[in-house]
Amino acid sequence: MTDGDYDYLIKLLALGDSGVGKTTFLYRYTDNKFNPKFITTVGIDFREKRVVYTASNPNGTTTGKTFKVHLQLWDTAGQERFRSLTTAFFRDAMGFLLMFDLTSQQSFLNVRNWMSQLQANAYCENPDIVLVGNKADLADQREVQEKQAKELADKYGIPYFETSAATGAEVDKAVITLLDLVMKRMEQCVDKPPAEPANGNGATKLGEAQPNEKKFFVRGPSSQLFSVKTTAAFIHEASPVTVMQVILQ
Amino acid sequence: MDLNLLQALERERVLEVLRRDKQLRIIEEDRIRRMKYELQELRRRGAKSYSRQYGERTCARCQRPLGKFWNSGAVCRGCSHRICSRCRVGVGTADWKCTVCHAYREVKIRSGEWFLEEKARKFPVTTDKYETVGEKLLKTCNVLSHISVVPPTPPPHLDHQFLSRSGDLKNTKPFTKSVEDLMVSFTSHIKKISTSQNDVRGDLLKVDNGRKGSRFIYSTQKSLSDTDISKASHLFKVPSLPNLFKKNKDSDQEGSSTGAEEETSFSSEYSGGKRGSNSSISTEYGFFDIVSIAGELELALAYNTRTSCLEITVGGCRNLAYGDAKKRKCHPYVKLYVLPEKSGKMKTAVKRNTTDPVYNELLKYQIERHLLFGKRLQASVWHSGTLRRKVFLGEILIPLDGWRFENEASQCFNWYPLCPKAESPDGGAMEQDRGELPVKRSSISQGELLRLSSLKCLQEKEMHLTVCQIR
Repeated sequence: MTDGDYDYLIKLLALGDSGVGKTTFLYRYTDNKFNPKFITTVGIDFREKRVVYTASNPNGTTTGKTFKVHLQLWDTAGQERFRSLTTAFFRDAMGFLLMFDLTSQQSFLNVRNWMSQLQANAYCENPDIVLVGNKADLADQREVQEKQAKELADKYGIPYFETSAATGAEVDKAVITLLDLVMKRMEQCVDKPPAEPANGNGATKLGEAQPNEKKFFVRGPSSQLFSVKTTAAFIHEASPVTVMQVILQ
Repeated sequence: MDLNLLQALERERVLEVLRRDKQLRIIEEDRIRRMKYELQELRRRGAKSYSRQYGERTCARCQRPLGKFWNSGAVCRGCSHRICSRCRVGVGTADWKCTVCHAYREVKIRSGEWFLEEKARKFPVTTDKYETVGEKLLKTCNVLSHISVVPPTPPPHLDHQFLSRSGDLKNTKPFTKSVEDLMVSFTSHIKKISTSQNDVRGDLLKVDNGRKGSRFIYSTQKSLSDTDISKASHLFKVPSLPNLFKKNKDSDQEGSSTGAEEETSFSSEYSGGKRGSNSSISTEYGFFDIVSIAGELELALAYNTRTSCLEITVGGCRNLAYGDAKKRKCHPYVKLYVLPEKSGKMKTAVKRNTTDPVYNELLKYQIERHLLFGKRLQASVWHSGTLRRKVFLGEILIPLDGWRFENEASQCFNWYPLCPKAESPDGGAMEQDRGELPVKRSSISQGELLRLSSLKCLQEKEMHLTVCQIR
């Protein structure tokens, strides 16, 4: 099924404690099957699925435009010993399915840790995440209440779903919601005004104020004055290697 | 993070996944390339063709005249061209863009460019190429596996002992003396190698395992000088999208027709079709992608067991970038090396005035079959400019171990997309002074100097510099 006939390649990644059902969740999503056996994931794996995405306006009405989306769904090992490998893959994913086991309080408590792992390793500070409580079908063994989980999700400002890879409930919805968030983010990223306004009206976004950013002036060959802005790394007194961008004033 | 911590079986599993990922990536890169090609086509159609008086009064996209009061057009916020109402595409509700800017935006979204930009914000790119973690891991692992399958080589001092023994017999010189002799012959070899490049091949064939040291030194020197060349060529070439717009303007004025100009700017834009080249769309991060790389190289590889020769047939190239973009000239030739020693330099003839040269030359490199382990074939395309100035046009690297020489299919011609120069381990760290710019730091004292390692103008308005030191 992997030919280039698609409009978008979207890379999502499932993470969470070992045994919460990431692999079965993705298996259910891509193949619509359930494998009750527990086979621990070795390091990293991925599954693919081609979906049709219908674009919608900001006001919620569909524009009727449809796109073919190729989903690459990365599956990570929950086990601690693979941690350095799996977290390294965070930075190449555009959206995240943060999963925990509704029948395991501990896996829910660890969501907080996973969140900080994401903040540190994902492509940006606030990536698109969907919180997923899996194994909703095992109602009698449930340890995490919906209210609890919902509160946590609200705190992070992310959607929350209770899914069951066994029955398939809400699985599609969780992934599609995440896809939707990513698709919206793409538009925002492209449409937002360029990060460095040439006239220096200080329109940098909140939280993006770079403490390392200092202004420089460079005199060019014909002695025009350039203002210089650091775009990477840092500038320290008499210290090395910085990449800068010069904008003519 | 590396895979050595895993057990062998686990590592194999992970590598398998990474290889699958690579398949997907290849398809994706291909798709992105097509997309950018289409964008370029659109740009070309939208460009002004003949009217020299490209003034305010025609739409920059469809060239329809604009009225003074009625249908007077408006300036697109993306490209600052005056656009008639027909060539606008609404983005969101209130805002609009001209058709080209809109297509540009679409490509940025669909190619995943937006993501790379966002990522580079948090993790500044240090190489000239975006690489996914999987890509990197796969590469390092391939290197590692090369090391593990290298056939046992005789210990280097074995030779010495033989020599010394024979020396002992004849001259009764102490052992250390003969080692000294050996060192002398080492250095003479090095000298020979570095003085005449053409002799290199013969020399190296004579150089046996025991003298690995000399080869190594040689290869360092060589690659340094190569990076010099490519560094220098950076200055002439300015890919990156802002330039596309500028170029377009230029061709607007020139007027002409051939579209060749656009072809160049396009090729610089999609430079190599590799991940890294995506960055060339972007203004902010484009400056990591310096060399304009485009096109493909056709090669066939075979191993002749009878003569113990690696036979490389260079078919040709297509869609190369212009080595001399200004004059739209290109005299390409292909140069081959066997890495990592950088031995066996082979060159094809220079084909003049073409970006689609056909060589059909068979180049042979004599090497024992088992010595191919851990080796790579580097095939680079160069433009042979005036005054022996050479311009790097792209390269490919083909691992030679694991190459299925028995396989019929692999002996046929294959097209390989050209890539920007791979960071060479010894050349990478090298920074060069490109000059000094007097700098005034607004906050601190005046008259400081920036030492620049590279400097290039992207547009009239923008200059990118890499600064290595501030005094």
